[in-house]
Amino acid sequence: MGDLLAPANTLEVLLGNEAVARGALEAGLNVAAAYPGTPSTEIGEALAKVAKRVGIYFEWSANEKVATEVAMGAAWSGLKALTMMKHVGFNVASDAIFTLAYAGVTGAMVIVSADDPHAHSSQNEQDNRHYSESVGLPMLEPSNPQEAKDLTKEAFELSSKYKIPVMVRTTTRISHQRGPVRLGEITAGFSKGKFVPPEPDRYLQVGAIARKHHAELLGKLKEISLDVAPSYAKVEGASDAEFGVITSGVAYAHAKEALKLVNVNAKILKLGMTFPLPEKDIGEFLSSVNTVLIVEELDPYLEMRVKAIAKDYAPEVEVLGKLTGHMPRVGEYTMRTVLEGLSKALGVVLPVNFAEIDRRSSEILKKVPPRPPVLCPACPHRSTGYALRRAAGRAAFMGDIGCYALLFQKPFRVEHVTHAMGSSIGLANGIDVATDQDVVALIGDSTFFHAGIPALINAVHNKRKMTVVIMDNRITAMTGHQPHPGTEVNAVGDEAPAIDIEKIVRSIGVDYVKVVDPYDHAATEKAIRDALKHDGVSVVITKRECALLTVARLRRQGQKIVPYRVNPDKCTYCRVCINTFACPAFVDTGSLVEIDPTVCFGCGACVPVCPYGAFEPQEGSLNWREQKIGV
Amino acid sequence: MSVRELNVIVAGVGGQGILFTTNVIARAALKLGLNFAQSEVHGLSQRYGSIRTELRIGSDVSSPLILEGTLDLLIALEPLEGLRQAPYISERTTVVMNNHVIPPVGAYLERFPIPSFDEILELMRRLNPKQIMVLNAYDIAKKAGDYIVANTVMLGAAQATGVLPFPEGVLREALEEVSPSRYRDLNLRAFDLGRESVSPPR
Repeated sequence: MGDLLAPANTLEVLLGNEAVARGALEAGLNVAAAYPGTPSTEIGEALAKVAKRVGIYFEWSANEKVATEVAMGAAWSGLKALTMMKHVGFNVASDAIFTLAYAGVTGAMVIVSADDPHAHSSQNEQDNRHYSESVGLPMLEPSNPQEAKDLTKEAFELSSKYKIPVMVRTTTRISHQRGPVRLGEITAGFSKGKFVPPEPDRYLQVGAIARKHHAELLGKLKEISLDVAPSYAKVEGASDAEFGVITSGVAYAHAKEALKLVNVNAKILKLGMTFPLPEKDIGEFLSSVNTVLIVEELDPYLEMRVKAIAKDYAPEVEVLGKLTGHMPRVGEYTMRTVLEGLSKALGVVLPVNFAEIDRRSSEILKKVPPRPPVLCPACPHRSTGYALRRAAGRAAFMGDIGCYALLFQKPFRVEHVTHAMGSSIGLANGIDVATDQDVVALIGDSTFFHAGIPALINAVHNKRKMTVVIMDNRITAMTGHQPHPGTEVNAVGDEAPAIDIEKIVRSIGVDYVKVVDPYDHAATEKAIRDALKHDGVSVVITKRECALLTVARLRRQGQKIVPYRVNPDKCTYCRVCINTFACPAFVDTGSLVEIDPTVCFGCGACVPVCPYGAFEPQEGSLNWREQKIGV
Repeated sequence: MSVRELNVIVAGVGGQGILFTTNVIARAALKLGLNFAQSEVHGLSQRYGSIRTELRIGSDVSSPLILEGTLDLLIALEPLEGLRQAPYISERTTVVMNNHVIPPVGAYLERFPIPSFDEILELMRRLNPKQIMVLNAYDIAKKAGDYIVANTVMLGAAQATGVLPFPEGVLREALEEVSPSRYRDLNLRAFDLGRESVSPPR
């Protein structure tokens, strides 16, 4: 939404993620690579959009490890490289990153880890600050979009100077915070580098060489803790205050405002670099107060390290936080979290009566039906789920990471598991070894490329009996439609060889492979039934593009989206449609089912679901299956 | 112009144009040189689930998230989603609410009763907001040319409440800037109709 290429010295509205991208462009970025993952995705989207105009190289890679290696290759050839990932994506890349810290870089490299406190769009609340310390890479943490830009740029400068990659850690409320950002000069572009290791053994990590590089890394980190970390430690507030807050990232923004709302004489130590820590600055801050409250989301990362520093500098100071029960460890923070922590720590009177608000609003909220995310109208996964329920209702269903994870919901319930990228097929291997149950793995196209293929190879080689349903919607949908190795275009819109999933599956040696249009419910159901009877590994590919892509294209083409309707003379109010298909466009009036015309995409997938044929097109309605729209 | 703190929530069902609506207000704030912080959620949660964006404008603002009970303007593109903001609504809140209820399909499967619009309005009144403006935004949007611009109708109505600290015309200019070119005229028509639905045409 913001103009990523707006001129220097202007103010532009940027999303935190766009600000990271702009910071990299201002730092002279040459190469960036990533796999999409919320909340990191918009960094790559922003770069993909401007890559050609700025002259940088950008790709959506097959997974985070490959993306990291692409960026490493560039950084080892003397260029400035960036990779970014969601917190769990870092797990995938970590094998390469741990050793990268020893190796260092010839050019410069920045790794962005976008953590997701509250697991808004994730499977866990992993705190990647631990990675920074255990890998041994410096970490900068912005507290608003302006800092997201500035610190990314500075991360590149540090990386160039110390010849090791530098991490930038954001959290959802930074990544997805939009704010005014003062811009600097863009210096990015592309020119070929040269792969010349600065020393012959620089990029060879074995035994004695690795130990030598390990010691070298520790030396650099010591230097950074003394020379760099202090410049990111900012003290604000009343200098005579006896109460202090130590904080970083978005927690700082909440703490700063919360402290203004209560009448407390306080000072804040804000840390912009959370590894390595500026030990002396923290020690001096601790010496100047009696009590300190640590305000940080997720793990007591700062709290434990501050306690260790307090032992040397200020053994008398009282350190309060998660370990003392003053602050929560689960979920994200808000001003309320900080206010409640301050109330527990200091007994201050709060400006808002939370108990009264909770009482009043809970009475209202118990009458508001929950609205969890559901599959979109026209979503091909709904049709696949519908067929799976009918054909394989008793199987053990191993789900995966993607929109189709929503098939765990009623009425489908064809996901017993959602775990990690690619885990569906790997887990199906294990369940088949351990039980006599029918086992079905459900995986999307992008996830299949990311981490599904080795597990499928494993299944064939080890003679498993299982069914894999690859739900190929021709895009990485959940993160907002990024191309992947199976699409005909690449990240920057150029034509690209599309890797054919069916050919991969056949070449592995799977001898039952069926490709179906999921909107053809009967054919899909039959393909799954036959697959379950097959003695060995069977694969059903349900292939139809994400409905949001189809609708967007139809609108672009000037095609009017005409919803379907329910013929009231045919509807018997049996509710089969709601109880088995559950399109969000269905409205139950109490005597009939109707279609909400503001929600319906006019796909016609519901037509075969009604036993009485009550779903009917209106004048101008399309039928996506019959007209081969979206396949 | 100086604003110390103004808190806005735009709430609705994923797909209703919640983010776009908020972006227009943020753009207007930028044009006036005001500080602001906007918080939004992307990813899985945008799929036809409850969505809200939070926008905080003013010199006192540093947190991107609104404190309970301190909401100034609620733009509810869907009324159940408006009601879901109950913890934020107080005597200082102006509510602009679309009257078209989109029932969550899961509620039918869980046999959770879905309140009618009148019941929703009654529950909203119990929260004692400063004022409540109700619109049939989809009908007005259709008059503008397409129901998909119901969000812009609501934005026009929000402008007419006078809660937003923007001089006449700034929000409309922001809308013009933020709109994709093929929706620009449609959006401006919808905005004007929304504004006139609350205040007389001028």
